[in-house]
Amino acid sequence: MKGAMQDGELGRVRFAFGLLGAVPVFLAGWLGWLQVAQAGELERKRGAPLRLVPATADRQAHRTEVVPSPRGTIVDRHGNVMALDCETYEVRADIVVPLKVRLDVAIFRSWLVGLTESLALALVADPDLADRDDVRARHTARLAKILQREFRTGDLPASGPIPDQHPLRVDLLVASEVEVLAVVDALRRVVTDKRFVAVDLHFLRSYRRAYPERNLTHGIVGHINTAWVKTVGGIAAMQSTGVCGLESLATLAPEPAAARGYLKDGSGRAYFTAPLVNAPTATVLHSTLDLDMQRIALRELTATAEAGAREGVVTIPKWGAMVLVEIATGDVVAAASWHRGQPNPAASPFTPMQNLCEPGSIVKPLVLAYAYEAGVLDWGHTFDCTSGSSEYRERIASLGRGKAVKDDHPCHELTPHGILVNSSNIGASYVGLLLEREQWRDYLRFYGFGAPLGLQLPNESLGGPHRDSFDPTTPIRRFRANTAISFSFGYELQVTTLHMARAYLRLFRGANAELRVCRGAEVDGQWHPAPAPADSGPRFRQEVVDAVRAAMVDVVSSDPHATGAHLHRNMLKEVGIDLHGVIAGKTGTAASRIGIKGRGSVDVRNASFVGFMPTESPRWLAVCVLQKDDSARFYGGTYAAPPVVRLLLQCQQLEQRRLMRQESPNGSIGQDRGQSGSPGDSGWGRVAPETTSVGR
Amino acid sequence: MKWLLAGLLFALAVTLAIGTAALRADNARSRYHLERAFHQVRDRVIEYRRLSVGLLDEASPERLAAAHWQHLRAAQQRREGAVQ
Repeated sequence: MKGAMQDGELGRVRFAFGLLGAVPVFLAGWLGWLQVAQAGELERKRGAPLRLVPATADRQAHRTEVVPSPRGTIVDRHGNVMALDCETYEVRADIVVPLKVRLDVAIFRSWLVGLTESLALALVADPDLADRDDVRARHTARLAKILQREFRTGDLPASGPIPDQHPLRVDLLVASEVEVLAVVDALRRVVTDKRFVAVDLHFLRSYRRAYPERNLTHGIVGHINTAWVKTVGGIAAMQSTGVCGLESLATLAPEPAAARGYLKDGSGRAYFTAPLVNAPTATVLHSTLDLDMQRIALRELTATAEAGAREGVVTIPKWGAMVLVEIATGDVVAAASWHRGQPNPAASPFTPMQNLCEPGSIVKPLVLAYAYEAGVLDWGHTFDCTSGSSEYRERIASLGRGKAVKDDHPCHELTPHGILVNSSNIGASYVGLLLEREQWRDYLRFYGFGAPLGLQLPNESLGGPHRDSFDPTTPIRRFRANTAISFSFGYELQVTTLHMARAYLRLFRGANAELRVCRGAEVDGQWHPAPAPADSGPRFRQEVVDAVRAAMVDVVSSDPHATGAHLHRNMLKEVGIDLHGVIAGKTGTAASRIGIKGRGSVDVRNASFVGFMPTESPRWLAVCVLQKDDSARFYGGTYAAPPVVRLLLQCQQLEQRRLMRQESPNGSIGQDRGQSGSPGDSGWGRVAPETTSVGR
Repeated sequence: MKWLLAGLLFALAVTLAIGTAALRADNARSRYHLERAFHQVRDRVIEYRRLSVGLLDEASPERLAAAHWQHLRAAQQRREGAVQ
């Protein structure tokens, strides 16, 4: 081989290979010189100097995308979605003015106009958008205003290069809640334009709260408020909090945000590294509401409240509230709220929980039940309820009460049953006077008047007795003359509709019975049930409950003296149903004087009705209160009772239909919307799930 | 022979170096496309959920009843038009 190669040739080959061998040696030396000998630090305005080492270069390329946690889904007792998170983008632009544009202010201005128009055009790419030209013009004006302010274009000369120290980089919010695919695609295309290579659009993940069937759920589901808050590190961040209703429950407080890593090169191109691990999951809050019942309740309440307005004859109420409760569980199945004038529903009080009123005669069954249970009332005793009778003079007038106790219609000899059927104020006063002051205090405690509802919902009104009702300096005689008698027929006491519903719940189930609006929550796939309804604690004897129940059955009858006779007659005529024995209830009418902002002291009338069915073993309980701020004729039996009766009847029909559907051999009849915690799963076409024993 | 082997080894080293660089470049290119595909999929998931929520809203009994009445009215108008 050596002989085959001439000496000169061998030398050239050795030289060539020597050169080639020197290349890696040179590269290794160069690397060492750069990374070791020349490794230094870069001073920064903020923070420690930046060390110029390979780790720094790697770190510069690593980026993280923040993935906020969803707030969670709120579903009704059948799994119908009432509130959910919709993923959206918050689009921000990092705009750097290109070098060639910096050379002339005129070019810079036209470049800004082009960028503004391109972004505005992308933002109206939604094919379903109405008034596209108007919206585009608004976007153009908004973006132009921001860019002019941030780039201070007003300070620039008419021509020539952009002066040094003039801002050449801007970060701005292009749009929030961007979720339409066409718009997202159009925005991504903007930065592929050669003119805008120095513009980087960041699509930050965000959420929008969506409320299907919103008009039904304003008060009870509530809403959220999003605001900038300072975090622990002093950095401002957007934070959403529930301000009222179920939205305010702590279960729905979002978990900390997650992050997904990716790489980015010097040109702003992103490179995939890994998908998101441990992606935050949405909590599913199962409420006790039934959307169908809620719809019926709201429709009936609205129809009743606005009936006068349609006829143009009578004035309409100021507000109304109606609730439907399942007695066995205390579940609030429907809670409807109505306000006159249809103000902003999000800003209006949730009347069942926030609007107070004097309940009037609907407390009489509660008073009589308590007195009977306490052993001070004989259910077979007869009271002379004739106004001005010797018994009246001896037991009521002799106390020196300033305001006489009167009945709506003349009453005579009445048993406690008759007192409830006739709704006799005089009879109720006789019973009330049998109770001592401490017993009245216990009465309020037993029924929960003035005590929190325990629903964990903010802004609830507590109500309760007047602040002077139990003033220890008040002589017993004066307490009996005023407070005891007033309490007997629902005065000197403020309640909400939900407080009344809870009081009746306790009549049937005992002193520890509570309402609930939440059945439980699914957190990270784990089911956490709400505390089971408590059936312990003191409760009325069955004979007490049965006696009151029987009287309330006869309230809604054809007896001409029964306060529900008008209701009975009308429903027989209207829907052909003899309500006697089908629905039991108690009417209430109260005339009060309250302070209204801007109007001073105003006379108001409250019409109320509490009803339940079936009468033999009550399952559903409904309470309706309507308040008028004038002295027009307004009675519980004619105004508040009809919506309650219609709600209860429709509630029963709906339950029967559901039962038939479940018993159908083919499963569902038609289509049902099934359990769905995911916005992507509408659930149509699946068989309705059976409700658990917790919710039934 | 040994120079030939040395040359072949050097060629192999260069090939490996170029091949590695090419693979890394292709990997980066794939990652770039994967990131874009990742965004596109996510955009479509968001769109799909938006449409689902829209459908959920439109499926309320009131909306369905309104749509049904609209359909009936349109059919009635068509019939009346056909008669005339």
